[in-house]
Amino acid sequence: MNELFDDFAQAHARQNGYQLAQTLSPVAPPGQPNRLRAIWQGTNFHSVKGDIKHFIKTNTSHRQKLDHTEVNGWVEVYMAYWNAIGEILAGESGKSSWTKVYESWKELTSMLIRGYNSFGFAAWTIPSLYMVGKYLRLFAIKSDEERNRTANDPAVGASLMQDDFDSETDKQGQLRDCEQHLKRIFTLCLNDRAPLEESRKWGIYFIINLLFKTYFKLNSASLSRTILKTLAVYKDKGDMPPLEMFPKSQRVTFKYYEGILFFLEENYVEAETHLTEAWKLCHKDAAPQAERILTYLIPCRLLTSHVLPTKALLANYPRLQELFLPLATCIKSGNLRAFDLALQKGEDEFVKRRIYLTLERGRDIALRNLLRKVFLAGGFDEPKEDGGAPVRRTRVPVAEFRAAISMGSGGDLIDPDEVECLMANMIYKDLMKGYIARERGIVVLSKKGAFPGTGL
Amino acid sequence: MASDTKPAEEKPAEQKPEQKPTALGEDDEFEDFPVDDWPEDQTEAAQGSGETKHLWEESWDDDDTTDDFSAQLKEELKKVEAAKRR
Repeated sequence: MNELFDDFAQAHARQNGYQLAQTLSPVAPPGQPNRLRAIWQGTNFHSVKGDIKHFIKTNTSHRQKLDHTEVNGWVEVYMAYWNAIGEILAGESGKSSWTKVYESWKELTSMLIRGYNSFGFAAWTIPSLYMVGKYLRLFAIKSDEERNRTANDPAVGASLMQDDFDSETDKQGQLRDCEQHLKRIFTLCLNDRAPLEESRKWGIYFIINLLFKTYFKLNSASLSRTILKTLAVYKDKGDMPPLEMFPKSQRVTFKYYEGILFFLEENYVEAETHLTEAWKLCHKDAAPQAERILTYLIPCRLLTSHVLPTKALLANYPRLQELFLPLATCIKSGNLRAFDLALQKGEDEFVKRRIYLTLERGRDIALRNLLRKVFLAGGFDEPKEDGGAPVRRTRVPVAEFRAAISMGSGGDLIDPDEVECLMANMIYKDLMKGYIARERGIVVLSKKGAFPGTGL
Repeated sequence: MASDTKPAEEKPAEQKPEQKPTALGEDDEFEDFPVDDWPEDQTEAAQGSGETKHLWEESWDDDDTTDDFSAQLKEELKKVEAAKRR
């Protein structure tokens, strides 16, 4: 107990928010596995309030003294913390549940928010909000899992049903509840009127990222847009520090989610911008995060710029290599059949990551490359005059394209109408330039840039 | 009623081993970074001094005469050519 408040007082003396946040961790630090238990056993229900007040006062008296109101605010916070730890420890020995842990942690969250609203907590302490908010969400998820588990157990399901628990609509009931509290923290940070240097606005991106994660988990990613709109209002007023001034961990996470939002809206150009920014800022050794960014950046770039990841890029990420290398190979060679098979093979993974439909559109690029090969194989026409530069044969029989598409599709001869349809589509999408002369059965390709952007 | 609710409380208890702190965290979302901030030279952008070019390549290849698919394609096109001449 004394140790806890020694840390607390030290953090206050140094105005070190992250050190302060550590005193509200529900997880014992690596070097002190028994820390939580020691805190819990350091007092009891009867004396907890008096003890905490005493420890806060004695530890802060010879350092940075806290004013009376502030002390009272922190006493409330640590009482709630002590209580929550009790639930966590009881849970470890099977005498509590995640739901109870969540409820007690929610009480801690409320007390902390109240500290800012009513007890004058200073802005440097906001990392405590990060700590509490982060675990509130995790405990909510655990509680939902636990409730769903017991609800599915026929032995106990009946009794829980009576507990006003609708298992279908309420599978994520706790997380929904948690969202409300995270929103309170969001508002708390957003509406701070203090000058920027001592403003809770510096907490905004951390809490926005927590909300994004929550909305994605709730399958309501689009709700993130509401948050972004609110944020934009403050940014436009110049009433929000620029993102560049925030720690990189928060910037990368924010840019990642912003990018994914555009990605899901099929705005691949915007998505690419944000994801590229996230990728560039990402720590060079943060492989899991980089991998996640690339999972979306690779399909994006395929559609916007028609580029593929090199083997050198994929080499660092075995999972991405497995996901994308087969597709990339087929796209390059124009092997449509193999592309379809590779897409099918990875379907579960692609769907799970919500990139299936985007990758499917890569088939156009594969087809473009196949047609491009036919054009290349056609070679050059005789120069019209001696010494003239060789000109590629731009009149290509549909039969040649038909043979190529049939072969690329697995061997069965494709109907000529279908071939023309595919070619018309290519022309429409600006992947190929030219026109189809149906009556003569040839395709007349542009002499300048028959396949735009590919050097031909 | 009391006997009904009892197993409900015991059930989660059996799952408790996973209540270890390390089990906290999500499988399908953007992971937290182990550190809050890092210097510019530790970013991906600073690696390889701007030569990100080697990370991306064009989606087509021209020098592919060696792979089976391209060789087969050439054969197919020759057949079309031959049929036309006949």
